[in-house]
Amino acid sequence: MSHTPVIEKAATAQAVIETQELAKRYPRGVTALDRLTVAFAPGITGLIGANGAGKSTLIKILLGLVPPTSGRASVLGRDAAVDAERIRTLTGYMPEHDCLPPDVTGTEFVTHLGRMSGLPATAARERAAESLRHVGLYEERYRQIGTYSTGMKQRVKLAQALVGDPRLLLLDEPTTGLDPAGRGAMLDLIARIGGEFGISIVVSSHLLGEIERICDHVVALDAGGLLRADTMTSFTEVSQVLAVEVDEGLAELAAELSLRGVTSRPDGRALLVRLESDTTYDAVRDAIAGLRLPLNRLEQRRRRVEELFRDEPAGGAA
Amino acid sequence: MTGDAAVAAGSGGVIHDIGYRHYDGPRLGRAAIVRSLYWHSLRSAFGIGRGAKAKVVPLLTFGIMCLPAVVNAIGAARGGGRVIPYDTYVFRLRGLVMVIFVAAQAPELVSRDLRSHVLPLYLCRPVRRLDYPLAKYAAFTAACLLMVEIPLLLLYLGTVVSASGTSAIWSQTRAFIPGLLIGVLWAVLLAATGLVLASLTGRRAYATGAIAIYFFLTWTLASILIGVSGGPGGPGGQAAPLAARLAGLVSPITVLDGVRRWLGGTSFGPVPLPGSAGVLYGAMFLLLLAASLGGLAARYRKAGLA
Repeated sequence: MSHTPVIEKAATAQAVIETQELAKRYPRGVTALDRLTVAFAPGITGLIGANGAGKSTLIKILLGLVPPTSGRASVLGRDAAVDAERIRTLTGYMPEHDCLPPDVTGTEFVTHLGRMSGLPATAARERAAESLRHVGLYEERYRQIGTYSTGMKQRVKLAQALVGDPRLLLLDEPTTGLDPAGRGAMLDLIARIGGEFGISIVVSSHLLGEIERICDHVVALDAGGLLRADTMTSFTEVSQVLAVEVDEGLAELAAELSLRGVTSRPDGRALLVRLESDTTYDAVRDAIAGLRLPLNRLEQRRRRVEELFRDEPAGGAA
Repeated sequence: MTGDAAVAAGSGGVIHDIGYRHYDGPRLGRAAIVRSLYWHSLRSAFGIGRGAKAKVVPLLTFGIMCLPAVVNAIGAARGGGRVIPYDTYVFRLRGLVMVIFVAAQAPELVSRDLRSHVLPLYLCRPVRRLDYPLAKYAAFTAACLLMVEIPLLLLYLGTVVSASGTSAIWSQTRAFIPGLLIGVLWAVLLAATGLVLASLTGRRAYATGAIAIYFFLTWTLASILIGVSGGPGGPGGQAAPLAARLAGLVSPITVLDGVRRWLGGTSFGPVPLPGSAGVLYGAMFLLLLAASLGGLAARYRKAGLA
C-alpha cells in the first residue's frame, strides 16, 4: 500500500451507513449495541472489534433483519427500520460461515441467487457469469461446489454478494479459512472491487493486518459502543514513540537512559522510548555514544490499528 | 464503467478486460422473487434441474400412481365400466405412494437449504422472512396436487373416451369434480405436514425417516384401532360403533378419508361413515393443517443470519 494520504471523502460525500444512538438489548440483559453513533464514509471501511463487540448485531440491524431496541440506522440514505427491502436490494452480504450447497454448480447457484436479488432470468444468468469471472472463477464454475477448494468457495460467496450489482457490500470475515496466498488474493480482490468497481465495502475482520492493508477507514467497536472511527492514515500516523535498536547492550542502554531521565521499555530487540521533545533525541544519541554501542536503527514508530485494543502502547514506566 | 476497457498485451496474446459493468436493467419486486423461488422449488420437487438420481423417486412414484388409471382406461376401452372411484382413487396405493413421495421430496425442498446454511443468503435479499416458507409450501402443495390429480384426470379421460352419450360423460364429470376437491385436501395437508417435519432437521435421511414414520405409524395405529373396535362397517353403510368411527382421527391419512365421508363421499373406504362424528374429522383436518403451517412459520420466523 502506498503512503499517499487518503482524501477525506466523509466530508464531501454522503455517508453510506449512519447510526444514531443505536442500541440493541436482547432478553436476559445482554447488550449487543450500546447507543452507537457512527458514520461510514464511501470506500472500504474496516469494522473491527473482539467477539461480542457488536459487529454482527450491527450488520443484522443494517440489513433490517433485527429491529433495534432504540435509535436509528440508515443505509445508503434509507432508514433500515422502514426501507429494509430496498436496502437489501442495494446491499450484498457475504456471511462468514459456510453457506454453499455442495451439489449444484457455481453458475447455477449464483444465477439462482441473482434471481432472488430481483434480476430477471436472462440478466441473472449474465450477471452470475460476470460476477464469477470477476472473482476469478472461470471453467470451474461449471463444476459442483462440493469439489471446490476453500478459496474457490470464498470466491463463490463473494460472487453471490456481487451478483445483484450492489452499491454496498457487507463482508463478514472474508478471509476465514484461507491460507496466506489465498488471503492475499482475496484482499486484492476486495481492494479492486472497492476501487475499480466503485462499490462501497464494509469488511468485518479480527485480523487487523488485513484491515490495514485494504481499508480507507476504520470503525472500531468495543462492548457495543464506538471505540474509534477514523481514516486509516490517522490510525497509522506517526506516534510519539521512538524505537532504538542496538546489536548488543540493550540493558546497559536502558540503565544509561534512565540515568538521563528518559524512561524506556524493551520490545524485542529494540527499546521503545517516549518522545517528549527534541531533547529526547539528544539523550538517546549521547547515551549510545557514551556506551559505544553499535546502533542499527532509530525511527519514530507508526501506530498500528491493533494498538487500539492494547493498553497504552509504549513509553511511561517500563 | 463500460468505457474503461483495458487491453493488456501479453507475450502469448491479448487479454481483453472489459472491466466491471453496473446493472441498469429492471429489478423485480418481492412478488416476482417469491414466484421465482416457487418455480425453482416446484421443479426441484420433481428433480428437474438436478441430476438423474434426483428424478428416480418422483418419476417412479408418479408412474405407480398413474398405473390404475391406465389399467382402467384399457378396461374401459374393452367395454368395461369405470372400476375405480374418483373420491378415493385406490386408497391404499394413493396413501402409500403419497407418503413415499412426501417423505422423499419434502426434504429436497427444505432440508438441503438448512443443511448447507443457505438461508442467510435468502434473508439478506429483498424478501421477507416468511416468503421463503410460503414459496416452499405453495410449490410443494402444487407438486402434491400434480401427483394426486393427474392420475384422476387420466382416470376421467380414460373412462370418458370410451363412454357413449353425453349423459354418461356428464355423470362421469359430476363424480370427477368432487374427486378433484378431495385431491386438493390431500395435497394441502400432506405438503404442510411433510415440510414442517422436514424443516426440523438438515439431515435428509432423518427428515425422510421422520416423515415416513409419522405417517405410517399413525396410519397403522388408526387401522388397528378401527379393526379392533368393529371394523369399517359394511359397504352398504351400516353404522359402525362410535369407537370405530373416532379411531380414524389419529392419523392424517385416515382423517383425510373421514373428511371425505363427512363431505358426502360415498365410496367405501378405510374409515367408517363417521355420522355425527364427521364434524370432528373436519375440525381435525383444520387443526393438523394449522399446526403444520404454524410450525413452519415459527421455524422460519426465528431463523437468523448464522
